[in-house]
Amino acid sequence: MTGAALILLVAALAAAQPTAPPEDEPTIVAALTREVVEIRSDFTGADLILYGAARGLREDDDIIVVVRGPLSDLRVMRKQRRFGIWVNSAPVRFEDVPDYYAVAATRPLREVGTFTALRRSGIGLDNLRLSAPDTERIETRFGAEVVVSEIGEEIAEYRGAIARTRLREGVFAETPGGVEVLEGGLFRALVKLPAATPVGVYTVEVYLFRGGAPAAARSTALTVRKAGLEQAIYEWAHQRPRLYGLAAVIMALLAGWGAAAVFGRR
Amino acid sequence: MTVYLPIAELSVSLLLLLGLGAGVGFLSGMFGVGGGFLMTPLLIFIGVPPAVAVSTEANQIVASSASGALAHWRRRSLDVKMGLYLLAGGVAGSVTGVQIFSLLRGMGQIDLIISLSYVSLLGAIGALMLAESLRAVTRRRQTGTSARPPRRKRGWIDALPLKTRFAASGLYLSVLPPIAIGFFVGVLAAIMGVGGGFIMVPAMIYLLRMPTNVVVGTSLFQILFVTSLTTFLQASQNQTVDVVLALSLIVGGVIGAQFGARAGRHVKAEELRILLALMVLAVCAKMAWDLVAQPEDLFAIMPALGARH
Repeated sequence: MTGAALILLVAALAAAQPTAPPEDEPTIVAALTREVVEIRSDFTGADLILYGAARGLREDDDIIVVVRGPLSDLRVMRKQRRFGIWVNSAPVRFEDVPDYYAVAATRPLREVGTFTALRRSGIGLDNLRLSAPDTERIETRFGAEVVVSEIGEEIAEYRGAIARTRLREGVFAETPGGVEVLEGGLFRALVKLPAATPVGVYTVEVYLFRGGAPAAARSTALTVRKAGLEQAIYEWAHQRPRLYGLAAVIMALLAGWGAAAVFGRR
Repeated sequence: MTVYLPIAELSVSLLLLLGLGAGVGFLSGMFGVGGGFLMTPLLIFIGVPPAVAVSTEANQIVASSASGALAHWRRRSLDVKMGLYLLAGGVAGSVTGVQIFSLLRGMGQIDLIISLSYVSLLGAIGALMLAESLRAVTRRRQTGTSARPPRRKRGWIDALPLKTRFAASGLYLSVLPPIAIGFFVGVLAAIMGVGGGFIMVPAMIYLLRMPTNVVVGTSLFQILFVTSLTTFLQASQNQTVDVVLALSLIVGGVIGAQFGARAGRHVKAEELRILLALMVLAVCAKMAWDLVAQPEDLFAIMPALGARH
């Protein structure tokens, strides 16, 4: 399916750039050292290496690697001081925010791609799409439909807060120079997953940028899952919550009575 | 050695958890307090989400009250009838508390309410404990005897209807005060993850005027059932009980409590009680400071609950 998508993508790119000679069209292949990362009790993070090869890589071409974690909906609240205490207020709901997002490139993104190209593919923390549908409405201005935020400039502060918080937690990252080009069109990039990395399916996108726009792209998947006892406990807690609660109570009762028996009556 | 907590979604040192359990267990063994009101804030300080800390602590209290309740049951040093009325109130309080908990969580205010409840409760208890033990120490220095709780005169409690006889306590009393006390403690168990013994015991002694020999057993009886129910409700409604965390704390707590109980027999209780009061006040001050200090980030990010609209 990804192969078909790649062909479609390449075909679309070829159609979009009729001036580029077909024999010059670059292609990329890429693979991760591990495609499944398991979170066990001693998990403290994981470092993966993405290896890739680009055919037709030129001297001034650039490689960008984007890793996106599973998407979830967020609520962002502004802390305001009320009666001397910091209280969460003014919630804004964001939809489909990646729980993990990392970008690595051969050079700073601004030098690699045009604003429009980076924006369209959502490359870079500044270009990540963070939509808050409840605060948005679509207006027609000068004949074109544009998305307008009802809270105006404030939405930018909320968006900034998401990126800032996640950078601090290590689940968002942007590393210019994080992609290393080796000889013969080979390249590699380090993908760092922190201890608190979210569970789910990640997509790893690899782009070859030429003249400010993507000339080739490839995507692969990465799965992060809880394994062993931790996974069993988590699933149990969420799928059979009543049974889990009962078991938690019984475990505690047995532990308490067991302790009384072991240490004797006082 | 680190352990991954599957519900708190956090990697922490197992030694730290065992140490916390043992430390708080030591104090509870020495002073006969449950320790939930110290453990929950400590869990929050090490990064456990407050909602998980509260629910998991209720689970730990099930274990710590179970051994005590069993011992009192064997000695029959409890008032079962009184315990059942307290429990009836406690069940209603726990169910109400878990509903309030879910509601506040949906509003994004649960962490604030937990902190606020702790600051007010720890402040009040720490101050009372400090004043009481300072008074006891000075009185003992003057007269050489230990303090005795003063007895109150008959009051409004005796005017309440629905009176019944509590044989084990030797009381003829309305059932309303025990139900109300039980209810209040049940709400606290759900929102703060405490057993509530530190409120129930003084209330039984000073308000209900129960004889001291059945007070602790009766309170443990109520705590055991209310925290069991709270654990079950939090697990089934909010999925915030972390059994790995609970088990680590229970293991540490059981060991700590044994040493605490032994140490408690050899030391002067009043002086140590001052130390405990100061500790409670320190935890209170830290939580209060976190509420008023300029936060690291002026935005809070949390998962959006509920369906899209």
